[in-house]
Amino acid sequence: MKGIIRMVEHDFRNFFRYKWWLVGLISMNLADLFVSALVYNTILRPSVSSAIGSYFNFFAPGLAVTGLFASAFMIGREINMERRREVHHYMLSLPMTRLELAIGRVLSGGLRGMMYMSPLLLTCFIFVGFPTIWQLLLILAVLFMLAVGISGLSISIAVSTSSLEKFITARGAVYYVLFFCSTVFYPLTVIQSAGATLATLAEINPLSGASDMIRSILMPRFFSFSYLSIFYIAAFSATFTFTAVFAYMKILERK
Amino acid sequence: MRVIWFVSQVLLFGVIAAKMVNVPDYFQYYVGGLSVMTLYSTAIFIGFDIYEEAEHGVFEYLLSLPVSRRQLVIGRSIGGGLRAFIYVGPLVAISLFVIGAVNPLSFAIALLALFLFSFGVSGMSIAIAVLIKSSDRFDIFMGVLDAFIVRLSTTMYPLKIIQQTNPIYGWTASLNPLSYAADLFRWGTGLEKIIYVQNPLLPLMGIVAFFGLFTLLGITIYERMIEGGGWR
Repeated sequence: MKGIIRMVEHDFRNFFRYKWWLVGLISMNLADLFVSALVYNTILRPSVSSAIGSYFNFFAPGLAVTGLFASAFMIGREINMERRREVHHYMLSLPMTRLELAIGRVLSGGLRGMMYMSPLLLTCFIFVGFPTIWQLLLILAVLFMLAVGISGLSISIAVSTSSLEKFITARGAVYYVLFFCSTVFYPLTVIQSAGATLATLAEINPLSGASDMIRSILMPRFFSFSYLSIFYIAAFSATFTFTAVFAYMKILERK
Repeated sequence: MRVIWFVSQVLLFGVIAAKMVNVPDYFQYYVGGLSVMTLYSTAIFIGFDIYEEAEHGVFEYLLSLPVSRRQLVIGRSIGGGLRAFIYVGPLVAISLFVIGAVNPLSFAIALLALFLFSFGVSGMSIAIAVLIKSSDRFDIFMGVLDAFIVRLSTTMYPLKIIQQTNPIYGWTASLNPLSYAADLFRWGTGLEKIIYVQNPLLPLMGIVAFFGLFTLLGITIYERMIEGGGWR
């Protein structure tokens, strides 16, 4: 347990080294919300408008999930760099078990994602509405589960790609497919009108599940809570947490 | 990476967003803007090259070449712009095919304007890179600039809608070089439903002014900042 806490501390220290990069990322997220979302709000089709209310309110929870994804995914870039610069030999020599090392990395990726996402989630609450304490705990628990899954996905990609270019390309493919094929930017009814395959992918997408869960709590008039989407998030998180822990332990030892 | 971004923007975001908004032929409109966004973000890359050259000692070599500082900046701006254009060329061709451009003559004029636009962006990137002197700070600054310059332009939505949303946004978008480039690109396609400019001469003049201003700024800053190792 001590080893896991040390690893989390190590990764948090690294995270704060990127503070200016985070400022850039936050400004990009805020520009999305306060410029793009406001403009799209004025050009929504009446059918979409009646289904979601305001696009600004619709997009605010999606933006928190976007921020969570981007920041939880950063751990992969660091691990890929460590692997290329052979820092992983040092990491493996630390006085902790491989399991503690691997769990610590996956956890810290998720926690960093949660930390970065907090101001975006708060912005969402300020503009859309505040949940009750139990609803807040549910939101945080589901988002943490998602963040750990994303961190796991990122680490799995990082340890299986040998160069930064390959990692960035793989990250791009995962990132854009997961984002654009989800309900982060547009409601499911709109995706359904674009194609059945896209709609199915969007439905099982954990980013859709997390965004819609927040919406169902903050805007119950337009969105209903779905246990199935929480199940998809849990399945995604469990799959990639185990994959990342296994891959990190086995692949790094082999190199 | 950029190809993946472009393709997913066209095939996923473009297709689905077009079904969400009440703008005629929004898919074609968006794909036209996307080409300009891609051109902009590619032309910016020349600034990162400056830092890499400085790190590897190539900067001194370039300064020792028998060319004036002015020629060096103009050459680099044109080179950076041209490089971006060659890189984005196939994506622009795909865009034109997807949206079904119909007027080759007006498109040739718009293409010329896009050349000037990418040279201007390269000049701007060089000027900022030399001025900031730190690759990390440059990266952050360009990220923030990119966030606002793209969203406060007509690349994603028509000007009158931006003006309706917020007059300050509308005012910024009407002075944004990305808006000029996107409007001219759409005008060049000849597809009437996505053309929102009455007179293409105005955005053309805007792009020429943007190119002139940043080439001049690039030359001035480059000349002042690099002597005696001042770029370090």
